[in-house]
Amino acid sequence: MSELKTLDVSHLPPFDISSQAPVWWGQLCIVFIEGTMFLLLIALYFYTRLQVDVWPPPGEQFPHLLLPSLALIPLFVSAGGSYLASEGAKKNNRGRMIAGMLLNLITGGLFFAMQIIQWHSLNFNWKADINGSYVWAFLSLYHFDLVGDLVFTFVLLVAVIIGRYGEKQRVGIHVDSVVWYFLVLIWIPIYLAIYWGPRIMES
Amino acid sequence: MSATPDAFASVPSEHTELSLLENAWRHRPGILGWLSVTTHQAIGMRYIVTAFIMLLLGGAEALLMRTQLARPNNTFLGPDRYNEIFTTHGTTMMFLFAVPVMEGMAIYLIPLMLGTRNVAFPRLNAFGYWLYLGGCLFLYWGVFTNTAPDVGWFAYPPLSGPQFTPGKRADFWAQMITFTEVSGLCVAAEIIVTIFKMRAPRMSLNRMPLYVWSMLVQSFMVIFAMPAVVIASSYLLSDRTISTHFVNPAEGGDPLAYQHIFWFFGHPEVYIIFIPALGFVSSIVVANARRAIFGYPAMVLSLIANGFIAFGLWVHHMFATGLPQIGEAYFTASSMMIAITSGIQIFCWLATLWTGRVRRNTALHFAYGFIAIFVLGGLTGVMLASVPLDLQVHDTYFVIAHFHYVLIGGALFPLFGAFYHWFPKMTGRLMSEKLGKINFWFLFIGFNLTFFPMHILGLKGMPRRVYTYPVEMGWGPMSFLATVGAWIIAIGGIIFIVNVLSSRRSAHFAAANPWDAPSLEWAADSPPANYNFEHLPTVASRHPLWDPPEERAVVTGLRNDRREVLVTTLMDAEPHHRYVLPGSSIWPFIAAVCVSIGFAGSVFNPWYVIWGSIISGLALIGWFWPRRPFHMEP
Repeated sequence: MSELKTLDVSHLPPFDISSQAPVWWGQLCIVFIEGTMFLLLIALYFYTRLQVDVWPPPGEQFPHLLLPSLALIPLFVSAGGSYLASEGAKKNNRGRMIAGMLLNLITGGLFFAMQIIQWHSLNFNWKADINGSYVWAFLSLYHFDLVGDLVFTFVLLVAVIIGRYGEKQRVGIHVDSVVWYFLVLIWIPIYLAIYWGPRIMES
Repeated sequence: MSATPDAFASVPSEHTELSLLENAWRHRPGILGWLSVTTHQAIGMRYIVTAFIMLLLGGAEALLMRTQLARPNNTFLGPDRYNEIFTTHGTTMMFLFAVPVMEGMAIYLIPLMLGTRNVAFPRLNAFGYWLYLGGCLFLYWGVFTNTAPDVGWFAYPPLSGPQFTPGKRADFWAQMITFTEVSGLCVAAEIIVTIFKMRAPRMSLNRMPLYVWSMLVQSFMVIFAMPAVVIASSYLLSDRTISTHFVNPAEGGDPLAYQHIFWFFGHPEVYIIFIPALGFVSSIVVANARRAIFGYPAMVLSLIANGFIAFGLWVHHMFATGLPQIGEAYFTASSMMIAITSGIQIFCWLATLWTGRVRRNTALHFAYGFIAIFVLGGLTGVMLASVPLDLQVHDTYFVIAHFHYVLIGGALFPLFGAFYHWFPKMTGRLMSEKLGKINFWFLFIGFNLTFFPMHILGLKGMPRRVYTYPVEMGWGPMSFLATVGAWIIAIGGIIFIVNVLSSRRSAHFAAANPWDAPSLEWAADSPPANYNFEHLPTVASRHPLWDPPEERAVVTGLRNDRREVLVTTLMDAEPHHRYVLPGSSIWPFIAAVCVSIGFAGSVFNPWYVIWGSIISGLALIGWFWPRRPFHMEP
């Protein structure tokens, strides 16, 4: 048999920090999975809401609007931190990676702290009734994700600060930003559903 | 590895390069090495073997039920035990056999068919398997400690709620779901990314084998459907363990919401099982008709349409709940629509076979069996889509007959065919064709004998899930016939096992491409090396192995001293960059154990959610902690 034709790929880079990286696509799949879950939960929340006349049940007050609305500010700023870190990762700029992740952690942490304070003002828990179950389901699932990603970002930050990082970690920082953008974006419909939803549907 | 007839391996290669490749892909020795394996062939095979053990357990449960129902007023099983057995049977078959076995086949076959060396995320792949195994052990831990679930495979509240099912039975069911869904989602993500980003150069989307298309559609369905069942099982579990009120009507919850969210998953789930089987049939038909598939674009579009329509049908499982008429009309129409896309595929296979030079081997027998049985199941499906008929036969044996026709006919027959088809690739040995055909006829006759009478039993009004029935109902003769059929299926199953075990040791060695099939997995050795191909292939048409050898090309320039593969672009599969896959690692196993502790513990004490999250988080940090060398040499 004659020799086969060949396609030489030795000139191609051995990694890529962009939307061409397989990990980026993997992260996108996770975003789809979690996004589907939250959107289905929102749909179920309204489905359940439509079955009853009085919502929230007597004795339960609407969740306060002020603090969760103010908390949106640090949340949106934190996305800027993610962006800074991921651009730094693409250009292998250590300072920008550290600054971006620090900004992300501080503002994300501030958002979480404001949320915790707000939880204390809720006068119902998940055992109270179906409204309480739903509100707490949103809060616990969302903040579980949020804290998980903050921890992951913190570990990446430590790795970069102590110099234990290379291309894999830089790809990691890049896809970490994808998750964070998702967390910021998906909070908007959840926020609208649990804080504005009951008010709008009452009128 | 050297004595291969593989055309792609005929590029002169230095011996050292090959030994470098073998070294880079070698498994570590010992039990720790076994737990650290991340190659797709090994993980895929573990899925397949585990799933077949589950099939045997689920099958044994079916035999117990059929034996109990063989005659009226039988006392072989009591009512409680019967409830446990039918629940465990359905749960095992759906969650622990059918979906995982399809995933296992895909994990084994997809990288080979795409011309690459492994899945995109090998460690996630291993993690997914260990969690699946955890789910199997968890459910059967319950079964063997007299805590088997007994509320049906869809566990409707209020029956499954805290009020009517105290104890832990329903919790075991709900948490088993969590195990298998996380595992299923891991596999779906890695299959999608492998298909999107790791295809052989120039294997544009319209050159992908139909099996790859079917797995792509299936994986997307998993991603959009399985979050729904995670919600459903979490509702149930949290209502039972931390007193939430999602679906418990005694506390103001809404049990219909559970049905909606369960079937929003449950209906796509059925297609998640049978769409990969459509891909098997296409592969078997093309190889054995020895011609290209008839109507490739129509086949692909039908698969994708099936995937979409699957999400608009779920309410036809709930016709008896009293829905608004517009809802019933809509879901009747959409349910009937699925017959169009399925019909197109059936006609394309028939046209391919009609115009091909057919080789009637065992695999093709199973494809024929599939067509016959699946069409019958599809016809009863169209009948059930009509609300008045559905209400009449709701919860009767007619429904049992229907879904066994579509699931066994639509998924199990193609799976057996696939097994005969790819067994030579997986083991390097051919299976006995003679035993294979006997195997087929036992299964085919046994199947029809078991399930056809159930149509009639259902029309006569026999409800499902009754552990016995009085003589006067007149269901005895048909039930006895079904029981005889079930035992014939069991004999067919034993013949299959005998065939597998004896063929594994037989001297019928398989060449790399015993069926002269066109897709890339047949270019690898039988069985494939850990790295699949010495040189990654490229593709110039839809049928690369049918192209003249002088038109084929292989990839050079990948480093052989590490697990390196090629990443290509999404649409046209142009080479984009090289990608170093992670090697063997124990961390996926450790992480899966930590997650399993959290899952299993939370059934008994909700605090395990917290403790499980903490140890799982630590395991994940260990998994991802940077290791030397940090910088990738070019």
